[in-house]
Amino acid sequence: MINNHKSVRWRRVFACCLFFLTLLEPLSAQDLIVSGKVTDGKLPISGANVLIKNTKNGVVTDFDGRYNITAKTTDTLLISYLGYTTLTIPIQNRTTINVTLQEDATALGEVQINAGYYTTTDRERTGSITRVTAKDIEQQPIVSPLEALQGRMAGVEIVQQNGIPGSAPIIRIRGQNSLRSEGNYPLYIIDGVPVSSTPINSYGNMSNTGIDPLNTLSLSNIESIEVLKDADATAIYGSRGANGVILISTKRGSQRKSGLEARIYSGMGKASKKMKLLNTEEYLKIRNEAFQNDGEQPTESNAYDLILWDKNRYTDWQDELFGGTSIISDINLSASGGKENTFFRLGGSYHKEGTILPGDFSYNKVTAGLNINHTSNNNKLGLNLTLNYGVDRNNFINNRSLISSALTLPPNAPSMYKSDGTLNWMDWEYSAWNNPMAGLYNTSKAQSNTIVSNLELTYNLTNSFLFKTNLGYTELSSNEVIKMPKRSYNPRNWEYVSHRSIHSESNRNSWIIEPQLAYQNNIGTGKLDALIGITFQHSVSDRLLMNADGYVSESMIGNLASAEKTIANTNEEITYKYHAVFARIGYNWNEKYFLNLTGRRDGSSRFGANKRFANFGAIGGAWIFSEEPFMKNHNSILSFGKLRGSYGITGSDQIGDYGYMDTYASTRAPGGLYPTQLTNPDYSWEENKKLEAAVDVGLFRDRIRLGISWYRNRSSNQLVGYPLPSLTGFSSVQANLPATVQNTGWELELATNNIQSNELHWQTFINLTIPKNELLEFPNIEQTSYANQYRLGHPLNIKLLYQYDGIDPNTGLYKMVDANQDGKLDYEDQIVILDQGRKYYAGINNSIAYKGISLQFLWEFVKQKSRKDPFPPGFIGNYPKKILDVLKEDTELQMISQSVESYIAYSRVINSTFYIEDTSFLRLKSISLSYNLPAQIMSTIGITEGKLFLNAHNLITLTNYKGLDPQSIGNNLPVLRTISCGLQLNF
Amino acid sequence: MNLILFIFISSCEDFLEVPIPTHKIMSETVFNDETTAISAMTGIYHELFNATFSSGGINSVTALAGLSADILEPISTNNYQLTEFKENEISPSNSANLKLWASAYKIIYMVNSLLEGLENSQNISQETIDRLQGEAKFVRAFTYLQLLALYGEVPLITTTDYRNNALSARNSIASIEMQILTDLNDALIKVNTSSDEIERTRITKFAVMALLARVYCYQDNWEKAAELSSLVIAETGTFEILQNLDLVFLANSREAIWQISPKGRGNILTYPNEGQLFVGTSTSSIKLSDRFVSTFEPNDSRMHHWIGFYSSGTRTFNFPYKYKDRSSNNNITEYSMVLRLAEQYLIRAEARAMLGNLSDAIADIDKIRLRAGLELIVNINPEIGKEALLELILEERKNELFSEWGHRWLDLKRTGTAAKALEPIKPLWEESDLLFPIPEEERIKNPNLGQNTGY
Repeated sequence: MINNHKSVRWRRVFACCLFFLTLLEPLSAQDLIVSGKVTDGKLPISGANVLIKNTKNGVVTDFDGRYNITAKTTDTLLISYLGYTTLTIPIQNRTTINVTLQEDATALGEVQINAGYYTTTDRERTGSITRVTAKDIEQQPIVSPLEALQGRMAGVEIVQQNGIPGSAPIIRIRGQNSLRSEGNYPLYIIDGVPVSSTPINSYGNMSNTGIDPLNTLSLSNIESIEVLKDADATAIYGSRGANGVILISTKRGSQRKSGLEARIYSGMGKASKKMKLLNTEEYLKIRNEAFQNDGEQPTESNAYDLILWDKNRYTDWQDELFGGTSIISDINLSASGGKENTFFRLGGSYHKEGTILPGDFSYNKVTAGLNINHTSNNNKLGLNLTLNYGVDRNNFINNRSLISSALTLPPNAPSMYKSDGTLNWMDWEYSAWNNPMAGLYNTSKAQSNTIVSNLELTYNLTNSFLFKTNLGYTELSSNEVIKMPKRSYNPRNWEYVSHRSIHSESNRNSWIIEPQLAYQNNIGTGKLDALIGITFQHSVSDRLLMNADGYVSESMIGNLASAEKTIANTNEEITYKYHAVFARIGYNWNEKYFLNLTGRRDGSSRFGANKRFANFGAIGGAWIFSEEPFMKNHNSILSFGKLRGSYGITGSDQIGDYGYMDTYASTRAPGGLYPTQLTNPDYSWEENKKLEAAVDVGLFRDRIRLGISWYRNRSSNQLVGYPLPSLTGFSSVQANLPATVQNTGWELELATNNIQSNELHWQTFINLTIPKNELLEFPNIEQTSYANQYRLGHPLNIKLLYQYDGIDPNTGLYKMVDANQDGKLDYEDQIVILDQGRKYYAGINNSIAYKGISLQFLWEFVKQKSRKDPFPPGFIGNYPKKILDVLKEDTELQMISQSVESYIAYSRVINSTFYIEDTSFLRLKSISLSYNLPAQIMSTIGITEGKLFLNAHNLITLTNYKGLDPQSIGNNLPVLRTISCGLQLNF
Repeated sequence: MNLILFIFISSCEDFLEVPIPTHKIMSETVFNDETTAISAMTGIYHELFNATFSSGGINSVTALAGLSADILEPISTNNYQLTEFKENEISPSNSANLKLWASAYKIIYMVNSLLEGLENSQNISQETIDRLQGEAKFVRAFTYLQLLALYGEVPLITTTDYRNNALSARNSIASIEMQILTDLNDALIKVNTSSDEIERTRITKFAVMALLARVYCYQDNWEKAAELSSLVIAETGTFEILQNLDLVFLANSREAIWQISPKGRGNILTYPNEGQLFVGTSTSSIKLSDRFVSTFEPNDSRMHHWIGFYSSGTRTFNFPYKYKDRSSNNNITEYSMVLRLAEQYLIRAEARAMLGNLSDAIADIDKIRLRAGLELIVNINPEIGKEALLELILEERKNELFSEWGHRWLDLKRTGTAAKALEPIKPLWEESDLLFPIPEEERIKNPNLGQNTGY
């Protein structure tokens, strides 16, 4: 004890001495004025920071990159600029110092990283944050910014479910935490304003995933996207951080850039894959085989494809139904400028994308973004206004079965159209298929408007205290009209159908106020950052869904006043309020040891009066061991080394509103009320405990940077319907289950500077994620409705299968193992567990620049297993080519037959181990080539920078999977393969 | 600092109060106002159209109990759910069985919720409270009568407290019967006498009497059965046996004592579920047993009006054609029938025969035979003995009430003739098949819930 006290005292004495020494030191040096110019080798850099090391004195360079600063002869200058390596230059009595900054190869160093309420740098961060920046996003011919993240980040799984422009992808940051699929959305924050991440309902769209709420952001307007993953980074978002946070920052006006930027591109897209299906000859062979095997005579009713339809006809239905070409065009313009204390940036864009489906449909969006920032003359008051506005219109065919029709229509099925161009119903009369174009004239028109705006006010109270407040407002309104005219349907049914329409409207608006007080000071040899703030958020969302029918004329469809009958199926307005206090303390000692404490107390209106508030928090720390003398002096290979770790609790309140109230609601039929649910006023937050340990190293003067992290997230207190016997009136009540879902995993990020010469740069970025998802506990699972969906000790994304037992030699049909030997095959025999999740996934991005030419290509790799695409036993309907194996001697397929037994065997085998396949894929996600037009020629015509670029998306996919898209197994429109080229000019 | 935070937070708790959304209404509010309280009852009527057991759809009592007896059969043997009922080999995990059970208890929950709400209400007139209590109790009694008939002993739930109810054991048949009678007798006092409403979808005194008559008939209380059915039959200003068979199942037909309106579906489709289920198409899943159809006398006009014949290629079958509408929209023509006058005549005929009053029994049964175009017993066999007459009444009940609410199945059970009728045609018949199994999933969730023997 005594020793300890002594050592503390000695440390204090030591610290005091140090302090005085630093005070004394400046007196021994003389003042002088240093001036110079900062360039990137060619062009001046305006807005670069020139700072005297260990002081707060600094200036920024002007438009010509020039600076003047008063310093002591013994001072050292730190010159930094976003995206460039910071230089440290001792003055050594010089008065002119010209500086050339190198672009920061690995995007590390002093680049500021947005951590939400505060910023950090890659070097100093204690949490797990990854980011992509404008250059990876802006040129891509895609609709939603989320697609740009695909394959670029470890721990971030993005699955595009189909190739429909604007449909919401599934996004999971470090796996599925909640048992409820709707409880796994990350938090989206655009310029400090939370935006609902729940997809917008769509009724007409061919996808059932909904519309991505980020569609209306302009890709060219985004400066960076940061993804916060661990407790250290997310705990400050408390109850909303459990599934990770996606921070989107839009571009700002700045000193550096002044002028006009224009970018224009256009391109085309086609389905990235078609399945190999039988041609007519092969098809008829298989069909005849079926009748032969069954010993049945083909008749008009059971073999209209063999008897009534033209045996010589061949249609490639995939070509017909999704073989079109989508034309993409995109223009964006931005102007920025300003003077002294006030800067602005104004951007606008237009994007149009056609469809590969039949009909004349397209996706259009127009966006505008404005940023104004101002600093008062005394540098005390700061003001930053951001406005993002976007409108999109998605006109689409409203026919959900197109893709499955394309895959299953017999190749000799009759033409869709009559010679006069109208739909051909007659030739289809005797088939089980309706004309696949039924619904051709059904259209869906979805339109949405989004505003995201934020005003940030800052005021420097003293050198150490900064007051800041965010005032944010966001509004998203969307409406969709689906029109279903009679002529879309077989005239035979006209007595039942009339001209119909479906109308859906939804609005979400939300305001947020977040006053904050920040403190920053040097304490000892360290730096203390602290922050405390309050959040008030108020959101209202409303929804109206109406059906109308009985329009007199097709031209009136959609005009509700002209409908014979309108029914409002849903009309609700939901208010959500949220209130919190949050704080952060960060301490950086000697640029070596870092500690970060974050906490939040949250209140949400989604819970009953007694359960509204909860506390969340995290502790994170980092140690830059390469700064230690023992490493520094003895190691020439290791240039940077950091260990970091964090632990904390975040939560999730992603659950319906008003669930704790005892309420009645209107029945669909007029005049009635019904009790909506069993009431439990006591349910509360889902809890997510996150643990992370990581090591970041730089080798050979940071030419190789490697980061490895291990994480473990445990999500407990699962908010689910607690199962009850139906005799209580309902089968469940909303409650917290003591079930725990665990996500663990390894993430690796490697950046290498393979070649770095004056003319040639080649960098490689590799990310790899090995996730593991497990249902850790679930008491009495066998008594719940989850009993046949989840298995303890296994991932959530599983499928229970029969064990396949080969072909039964007696029947020639597939045989399954009767696992419990009770003489029948049912769910109890489905005991093989298939993990349908990703085993691991990776992205490999290369960037090669030679003089003015640069090439980037990104490969995405996913290791997974799923079920194959099915090939049915012998009924009418086309098959994958693989079915021809049945004609071989050693076939593994059951005999072709239309018997009920063969169908039963088939319906079992698709749920058996026989149908498991490795559906891993390697995809050239994007490749882009660009050429910088010669600066000298350009400057003669007033252009500061000119660039030509060529982009391709989903060019190559290597996979064993025989279906359309290994990314989303099933009959979904595959993602498009697009090629686009464009031109960028900066004035 | 902490103190400031604390003060701040507590002052802001009010901020988190959200108003009740317009699409919901607090339970207390519902029962503090006459109109909304009535709406809660209307909601129950609507739900009866949608609830599996009473919907008349594929898993309703009408369909499943019809399959269990000798009336209905599944068309395709692949539909195991239905085949299990037809073979009387119902697996406890059969999901149709669970849906039927769950939907009945859902209705019971709604009734209990309404009754509890009314108990605490302030601003509603006694008259309205009485009427709503009466109607709700009728619905509860009706639902328990179905459960009792299909499952025997079941838990008797009369509150909304899910914490207790979730662990309820089964109650004795006597106590459930007691509850049914208590509810019905209370309803008899409380519901409106007047039946001046055109709509026959709301419970009237006569509906209560008609159901009481059925309950007494099931309990072999023949005096009471005769007494109550007589009260209904006597109301000739309201009810009559319609001579045109095609008019019986129309909305608000004069034969109807209580019907459920397809309005309850709440969208533009307006057909009754029975129409959609039974009227023959290429995709029909249920047909009438050929054996049953063959028991009709050839000149029985019910065979011509109430039974349809579907034929397309090799697919031919008979189907119940009491309801003709299988696909209408915006045009209600038929309601789903629950109680009708013909049943009251049949109840009274049976009661009178049981009591030895054969001539009046013959008069009642002839009322039904007359409409069916059959020769009258009074003419062809006026000296018929009691046993033969009772047998004839049972046969007449089968041919009159087929494909309605599982009447045949319940008749076979209560008269003890199930084995005789079913053993010859159902190879797997056992005496324990008279009761459906308690759904397995319910027993898994509620360890106190017993199972019927044989499962």
